[in-house]
Amino acid sequence: MHVMSLFYIVIQQLVNGLILGSFYSLVALGYSMVYGIIKLLNFAHGDIYMVGAFVGFGALGIFGSILGVGWLGITVALLISMFLVGLLGMLVHRIAYQPLLNKRAPRMSLLITAVGVSFTLFNGVMVMTNGEYKAFSTSLGYEGISLGPVNITYTQIIMVVSTAILMLVLYWFINRTMYGKAMRAIALDQDACRLMGINVTKTISLTFFVGSALAAAAGVMAGVYYGSIHFYMGFIIGLKAFTAAVIGGIGSIPGAMLGGLILGLLETAGTQLPFVGSAWKDVFTFGILILLLVSKPTGILGKSEIERM
Amino acid sequence: MSRKFLSLVTVTFLALALSVTGCGTQPSAPSTPSAPSAPTASGGEIKIGLPLPMTGSEATYGKDMENAIKLAVDEINAKGGVNGKKLTTITGDDACDPQQATAAANKLVSEGVVAIVGGYCSGAVVPTLTIYNEKNLPYIVEAANSSKIATQNPGNTFEINGTAVHQTQKAVELFKKLGATKVALVEQGDAYSSDLANQTEKALKAAGSTVVSHDVTTKGEQDFSSLVTSLKSKNADLVFWTAYYADGALLIKQLRQGGYKGAIVVGDGSSDPKLIQMSGAAGEGIYVLSPPVAEYLPAAKQFADAYKAKYNQAPGAYAPLAYDGINLLADALKRAGGTDGKAVIKALTDTSGFAGLAGKVAFATDKTLKESNFIVLQIKGGKFVLQ
Repeated sequence: MHVMSLFYIVIQQLVNGLILGSFYSLVALGYSMVYGIIKLLNFAHGDIYMVGAFVGFGALGIFGSILGVGWLGITVALLISMFLVGLLGMLVHRIAYQPLLNKRAPRMSLLITAVGVSFTLFNGVMVMTNGEYKAFSTSLGYEGISLGPVNITYTQIIMVVSTAILMLVLYWFINRTMYGKAMRAIALDQDACRLMGINVTKTISLTFFVGSALAAAAGVMAGVYYGSIHFYMGFIIGLKAFTAAVIGGIGSIPGAMLGGLILGLLETAGTQLPFVGSAWKDVFTFGILILLLVSKPTGILGKSEIERM
Repeated sequence: MSRKFLSLVTVTFLALALSVTGCGTQPSAPSTPSAPSAPTASGGEIKIGLPLPMTGSEATYGKDMENAIKLAVDEINAKGGVNGKKLTTITGDDACDPQQATAAANKLVSEGVVAIVGGYCSGAVVPTLTIYNEKNLPYIVEAANSSKIATQNPGNTFEINGTAVHQTQKAVELFKKLGATKVALVEQGDAYSSDLANQTEKALKAAGSTVVSHDVTTKGEQDFSSLVTSLKSKNADLVFWTAYYADGALLIKQLRQGGYKGAIVVGDGSSDPKLIQMSGAAGEGIYVLSPPVAEYLPAAKQFADAYKAKYNQAPGAYAPLAYDGINLLADALKRAGGTDGKAVIKALTDTSGFAGLAGKVAFATDKTLKESNFIVLQIKGGKFVLQ
């Protein structure tokens, strides 16, 4: 059998970490945007990701027979899921968060409402799917590029490239459009925005749409990539993405992207730890994160309370 | 006229019937609890107690086992019974609950049974062992397989289902057959998968094989790519997954996606048709350890057909073992030449080469199976195929 040299192991693990990290980044973006604009830790965000996976699964089931279960069908399912789950995000905001914001409720009440939304979503999906795992069947194979013993499948390349495209579009949207400017303005000062005639509620709603659509995209991509989905799949990734958002500096969009990648790379490195083995992976990862936050409490790109997003 | 006559006849008949049953039950009732052998001598039948869950969450399994046992009893009686007497069964509902199991055990003892066959939930089996042992009643445990049964066995109890030890035996045997020299173990840190992985590691080391890694993954985490790279870098030639099918299917997919070409074996927690569905093309050729399920046992073909004909459904997971258990008891009763508890226990202890549906039965010193009855299945063409 071919012996993998250390060089190849490092390259392969970097690729692994990059892919895992790009999923974390996509979900972390939604956390960060919502926190940036209304200072809410939206704990239902992981479940939005899960719902995204299921909507994509349903859409692929309907359109797959016409368009096939290859990249065309997947792209259509992805776009449908992003749109519908974006609307779901807006609905959640309108029903569960905006009434509390209107009454200037304490932050803690908002947080608990978010936990309530999380339970509602995953229990709802559990009932609808009988708690079963669903196989996400696509026609994607394992073909790819081999550099010595390093394997990179085309699916993996497409995943990373799509994530990069989504992030670039988001960056353009936030920094170059009027809506993006409104979001950034609201993050700075809501009351001033109201006085300037910006529709604050609508803009917050739009933020929920964009964040939820990104999570849905991550959910569909994870379903396609890993091949099975489950009502509880949002829990762990929700926690990890939240962590990623905090490491990057919560509220900062480039921070969320960077935080996700760092977390993904640390986890893959932790699996290959000499002497202790993979059982210590999470201890290693979170140990480093504690050190990082102790030395820079606002996160890598977080600014202390001056400007967000 | 005729109507009056008819009603008169009916009333007389009913009165007679009542008086007959009334007389019949009264004298025999006090005698049953004191002397277990009395009713068999008088009635010409052998009463066997079946403690099984008939209500609650596990009721389907209990009903399935009862069906299989009754099927065997009918077959035995059709051939003239045992030692010239017919077998009869009394089911005691343990509801898979320790308290209700104790009550059910006392009820069976007072009904005058001479042997116990059944037992699905370990938690409901353990507290009843001494109740039966006090009356010298042999107990064949057919499905429950917690290690507690063997350690708390007062001497009357025989287990015919394989335990974690037996699964380990079968796993090591399979690894050897596949020529694996560098085994990688992957578990999830829960009691069940951890126990199986640890026992396998111990057994492999004792057999002189190399365990290149023993990894623990987090339940619910979907990405195994870094683990796959790690296993490849250690040149593992066999990966043994000891946890459940859902995450197992993800691991199988990612191992193949990452270019791992060695053998993959999964434990009985993953022996579920959903594993095939979820792992897709990557699942081809995977080995699965499984308890003896009727579907895959060539010897059980006739049994499965008879079961389907009688109950209009396929036999469940523990039906073959339930069927084997009662046949084993009948065999022991014949060898003991009667229903004396001590003699039957001795006959069961001496069992050698009893051929059941799930294989040959013989007992080790702790009265668990001497040889593993686990079977090896392989996924071929999208189906489990017996190896």
